Amino acid sequence: MNTDDPSGPRSGEQSKLRFDDAPDRFREGHKSDKFSGASGVLFEQAMAQTRMAICLVDPKQDDLPIVFANRAFRTLTGYSEEEIIGRNCRFLQGPDTDPEPVARIREAIAQEDVVVVELLNYRKDGSSFWNALHLGPIYNDEGELIYFFGSQWDVSDVRAARAEERHAREMARELSHRMKNMFAVISGIVNVTGRVRGIQDEAAEINARIQALGRAYETTLDDASSGSIEVGPAIRSVLAPYGRDEDRLELEGNGVRMPFSLVSIVGLILHELAANATKYGAWLQEGGVVNVAWQVASHSNELHVTWTERGGPKIDRDQIKPGTGSAIVDRLLRSAGGTIEREWNESSFKAVVIMPL
Amino acid sequence: MNNSQTLLLLEDEPLILMDLEFAAEDCGCNVLCAATTKSALDIIEQHGDNIDAAVLDVSLADGHTCFPVAHQLKRLGIPFILHSGDLDRHNERIRTLEAARISKPAPVEMVIATALEQICVRD
Repeated sequence: MNTDDPSGPRSGEQSKLRFDDAPDRFREGHKSDKFSGASGVLFEQAMAQTRMAICLVDPKQDDLPIVFANRAFRTLTGYSEEEIIGRNCRFLQGPDTDPEPVARIREAIAQEDVVVVELLNYRKDGSSFWNALHLGPIYNDEGELIYFFGSQWDVSDVRAARAEERHAREMARELSHRMKNMFAVISGIVNVTGRVRGIQDEAAEINARIQALGRAYETTLDDASSGSIEVGPAIRSVLAPYGRDEDRLELEGNGVRMPFSLVSIVGLILHELAANATKYGAWLQEGGVVNVAWQVASHSNELHVTWTERGGPKIDRDQIKPGTGSAIVDRLLRSAGGTIEREWNESSFKAVVIMPL
Repeated sequence: MNNSQTLLLLEDEPLILMDLEFAAEDCGCNVLCAATTKSALDIIEQHGDNIDAAVLDVSLADGHTCFPVAHQLKRLGIPFILHSGDLDRHNERIRTLEAARISKPAPVEMVIATALEQICVRD
């Protein structure tokens, strides 16, 4: 008969796994502790089945010996019951165990307090594991301290994951710092070259674009691993240096994301629109407002960014002629398979940018 | 624009430093440049009385930061601004300095103008 069949009779090994007789024997030896009746059966079965390593320590005996350890405790530590019972829990500590959490355990025992610490413990075979130890007092009906209860959980994996995450975050920040610095250096080169060659205005114009690009990427590194970035923060940081408060710059959008490949296009387009608004549009005079709204149309996979200016100077249609900025925007969008529609009214201007995601 | 103000610039990246220096000179400022914490502290020691404001890069070469310089300027009551690509990482500590912060990359004219504004604020 196949012994793996759970419906069949249990093999010796299986019944041993299922039925840990340590709780049973512990009850036998501690009849006065009310481990009788339903709660006794519950204790026995819960202790035997739980994957949480559990032990009880006797506070009335010298050096607080362990008087009970369930199967999970033995599995976790690699020691047999005979090797565990009668010893103080510190036998799990080793050379690299930090004394700080150990001191906190001692303090909690002295105060009959509950404590949760993480400390490095060692198995019988010498290997170490991170133990999340919960320790607390157990009282009888008379309020007398009868045991300390300890539950152990191996959190080595959790700790490794946390360390990895911390490392990744550190790397992202370092990268972000270097990148921002790189953009600043490029700006420096352009400015200094422009000055030396007597083309400062052109250099300033180039620089404004480089810096807009730098800012658009600024927010990307925090979640670099996801392969996409949130549109809102990128838009916000590109427009930040135009120094417009909430009264002059309204932002409307939700947590829509875009792939990295679109960051530079969105960044540069917004810069051109903002530069234009500052020179000729709503930001030229008091009271002019720019509204930027973004969304992904539900029926298609396209990012829509709507730039609306109102309260700007009166627009003379005959004076409108495409500049370098709009030429750049048009070309950028063409290569990305997107479009831009510009619409002028009395004193308002609206541009709708559509980009496939 | 014409200022006879003296600005201390602490920046370990020569191209950025040069760019800031030009922009400050355009505003008519006298400029003192330092690329390390040590040279900045030396300059403060020598010219402390004449320095009107400072622009400090936060993260410098070899793991140094501008904090010793910032603290010395605070003691002397000289206003300064922080110009850094690393504002996130030092966020907590930077707040304690209570100085204006400009995130790199930013137009150098704006950086210098912000530094000069601090003098007006103080006066």
